[in-house]
Amino acid sequence: MTHLVILDNEAVGALASADHPKHRRAIAHTQVVATRRRRAATTVLVVPTSVRVEAGLDRTSSSAAFFGSMRIADVPLDTAAANTAAALRHDTGVSVADAHLGAVIATSDADRITVLTSDPADLATVAGAKAITIVRL
Amino acid sequence: MCTTPRSTVAVVDAVARISELLDSTDTASTGTSMRIPVALHEAASIAVSELGVAPSTTALAVDALRNWLEALVMQAALDAHYERHPQARPTLAELAMAAAEQDGNPLASQPRLIRKAAKAVAARHPDADADAVLLWAEALASTAA
Repeated sequence: MTHLVILDNEAVGALASADHPKHRRAIAHTQVVATRRRRAATTVLVVPTSVRVEAGLDRTSSSAAFFGSMRIADVPLDTAAANTAAALRHDTGVSVADAHLGAVIATSDADRITVLTSDPADLATVAGAKAITIVRL
Repeated sequence: MCTTPRSTVAVVDAVARISELLDSTDTASTGTSMRIPVALHEAASIAVSELGVAPSTTALAVDALRNWLEALVMQAALDAHYERHPQARPTLAELAMAAAEQDGNPLASQPRLIRKAAKAVAARHPDADADAVLLWAEALASTAA
């Protein structure tokens, strides 16, 4: 079973900075993924690249070193994802980053999807009918 | 498993290099002289041909190896982070809460029960992980029902 754990803007910031008030909570979620992966569970952490832009996280920056070591995969905004995200943004009025996140949810074939977010309402909007687990960070 | 002590710097350098190699987009492959037990190889072949778990035994082995190495890199980075920022290390109860939340487990709405389970599990099994706490919490919940 594959489990996709997607980070939103605040989750990226909380994980990247030890000074963030929700850092420990973001770490707890990351530690759970790491522990489960050691048991060969197929759980992966991903971040849509637009979300990373909104969070201002440059992977080449020294301040992103810890985030970079967490094996969090970028999900790029390619042509297909851009079309899905554009339709979502048009229909719901969400931000570009949230629309990209919605496109990742819509096109994922993972058995389970969890989103770590500070804004559950917007996430529920972009997820549409797809069953996902929303965790308020 | 090798248990030879390594210096912190050597470990950090090794983990950084492993991480860099895992990120490599170089698709060149290499033949290896790795010896695989015959029974394990046959088990993998059956998993591929009969269960369709991967396109080939090589793909299965590569995926498993990558997953294991990525988990190793993550844990090494987390351990180094905990050393620098001890206050960032989550408690067992916090880890169990996070696990319940990620799974959409109804126990996530019972933090007090999770804390109680974490305390009981930690007392008996100091190395227990979040999923062990959730199992204990489920047992407590079913006993109380």
